Amino acid sequence: MIQLAVYGKGGIGKSTTVSNISAALADAGVKVMQIGCDPKADSTSALLHGRKIETVIDLIQKRGRDIPLEDIAFEGYKGVICVEAGGPTPGLGCAGRAITAVLELLKEKGAYERFAPDVIIYDVLGDVVCGGFSVPMRAGYAQKVFIITSGENMAIHAGANIAVAVENFKDRGYATLGGIILNRRNVKNEDEKVAELASDIKTGVVGVLDRSDTVQDAEELFETVIEAFPDSKMAGEYRALAKSVMEKCGMEVNI
Amino acid sequence: MLERIGQSPPEELTSVRARDAAFPSPFKSVLEYAPPARGTWNIVHTGMLIPQSHQVFICADGCLRGVVLTAAEMGTIDRFSSVSIREDNVLRGDMEELIIDGTADIIGKLPYKPRAVLIYTSCIHHFMACDLPRVYRILRERFPDIEFVECYMNPIMRKSGLTPDQLMRRQLYAPLKPRPIDGRAVNIVGNDLVTDDSSELVRLIKENGFKLREITRLKTYDEYQEMAEAFLNISTFPAARAGGDALSQRLGQKHLYLPFAFDYSEVEDEYTALASVLGCACPDFGPRIAEAEDALQRARAAVGGMSIAIDYTAVSRPVQLAKFLTEHGFAVTDIFLDAVPGEDKPSFDWAREHLPELKFHPTVHPAMRVRPRGGDETFLAIGQKAAYFTGTDRFVNMVEDGGHHGCDGIVKLAELIEDAAKVPKDARSLIQMKGLGCGGGCCG
Repeated sequence: MIQLAVYGKGGIGKSTTVSNISAALADAGVKVMQIGCDPKADSTSALLHGRKIETVIDLIQKRGRDIPLEDIAFEGYKGVICVEAGGPTPGLGCAGRAITAVLELLKEKGAYERFAPDVIIYDVLGDVVCGGFSVPMRAGYAQKVFIITSGENMAIHAGANIAVAVENFKDRGYATLGGIILNRRNVKNEDEKVAELASDIKTGVVGVLDRSDTVQDAEELFETVIEAFPDSKMAGEYRALAKSVMEKCGMEVNI
Repeated sequence: MLERIGQSPPEELTSVRARDAAFPSPFKSVLEYAPPARGTWNIVHTGMLIPQSHQVFICADGCLRGVVLTAAEMGTIDRFSSVSIREDNVLRGDMEELIIDGTADIIGKLPYKPRAVLIYTSCIHHFMACDLPRVYRILRERFPDIEFVECYMNPIMRKSGLTPDQLMRRQLYAPLKPRPIDGRAVNIVGNDLVTDDSSELVRLIKENGFKLREITRLKTYDEYQEMAEAFLNISTFPAARAGGDALSQRLGQKHLYLPFAFDYSEVEDEYTALASVLGCACPDFGPRIAEAEDALQRARAAVGGMSIAIDYTAVSRPVQLAKFLTEHGFAVTDIFLDAVPGEDKPSFDWAREHLPELKFHPTVHPAMRVRPRGGDETFLAIGQKAAYFTGTDRFVNMVEDGGHHGCDGIVKLAELIEDAAKVPKDARSLIQMKGLGCGGGCCG
């Protein structure tokens, strides 16, 4: 079972990218579990055609920890298992603690054994700001961390911070850096700036996504690009990215 | 308008009749109060049962008070250490290193080498998502000849998942290493008190040639490790059940849960099940039941017109005991508990129908602090909290089922009731001692 985590600045397109990777892998017959680790709880929205699912944190608050897996995990596009960790009320509580509690609960419930996915993708909010946000990259969770960034300075800054966290944990048997995913915003010298980041943090760019209206068009349909516009150029870019990411994780996928 | 502090609280905060009580929680969960009846065991007492072990608490200074006093009071302060967490550790993010380096420092300075070190992490480690598996991995690599036991002082989590009590009783056996199974060896697991030798439970095991091990009877760590050889673990205390199940999964031992029951047919069913697993004949309970009935009759005569109050710390099935005593002519009027145990549901349903005026009281509701104690009614209490809240000096001083089991346990309890009715006790001095029966340093 391959586990990978995708980090990046808020609003950079993590959930859209991750959902399209999941959909591309599902098309290729790979069993995928996507776990949204963000209080916004919209990571898997496109895979579920916009259907809002109850977050694990909400369920814990309502019912305690005695929750059947059927109420936590939902089947989305082509069998992708979708989980939304959720989080505390904005401005209150601790989002890091929420991620920890949810991932502990999934292990405690035997979710990974029960669904037996080939690939688990953690879609993690923003930066590694506290211990809770590092849980998806710890031993027993993701083996590889991928950073999504554009050429915007704040996104690059966040990417560098995430790489520092991975580096800090290198002696602990945690995840290693898989590479950078460039999600273009068409800012000046974008490719050069991201290449410089990759060089600084000693990794490579594993995939490039162009800025495209097709992404927004799919979002309006509450679908992934892979599902809504399978023959589009963007769908091709997502498939290439999915293939490249899985190669970095040591898995050949015929996409 | 100013309100006088200490006036009697409204009755609905401190009492609910059986007919109106909700299962399993008759009272709302609110800010909690701890009455000064301290005979129940805590995580320090129970952890000390592992022979030749040392405890390290990692927490803020303010959290230490209770546990350090426990260790001092029971005479085991030499087996207790602590590491203080300060705000700097939180800001620097070196909480994991603090556990590792602090524990290593303590081990290096101890005048003896413990066979096991119980590390109690606290709420903040869990809030901050400390990587505890990494901490234990490093400690085990650094000290391969010491077993590190994951323990928890994490009250914030006590209403989700296993309770701290259940976790402690499970972790008590975590160091056991797999061994070849011996079909003639049996353990009683999860009890803080020695099970009575006179109980049918101990007698059935021993008289049929099985070797019995119980952590409360062991003196050395090597003897403790021999518990892994048993083919059967028996738990009798509800909080020990999860630990028994965990041992089954980890070591492949059979597990029988045989709670101390106040119902002759249930007692017989339990012993029939045990005899079947042991491959021996079940004792004839006829004479034992007659003996119990005689003891109850004597107790009933001694109690006279006193009302009976029971609390959940004395017996693990207080409502079943209330039903049993009522059926034997006692006037059970009050039960002190904060939640009705799952095992007590049938008795609770019975009480709603047959004892609708039976009063349930919480023990942790803050209104109980100012509820009047004592009064015109004369009580005989079973348990320290019941004694405290009713203000009586005639009480059975017992916690956690008192090591009793089977019909023999019913006889013992009846004798204790009879004695309590005849001889008043100095309640104030008796109930303030922590860990009734821990014996003060006897455990290691």
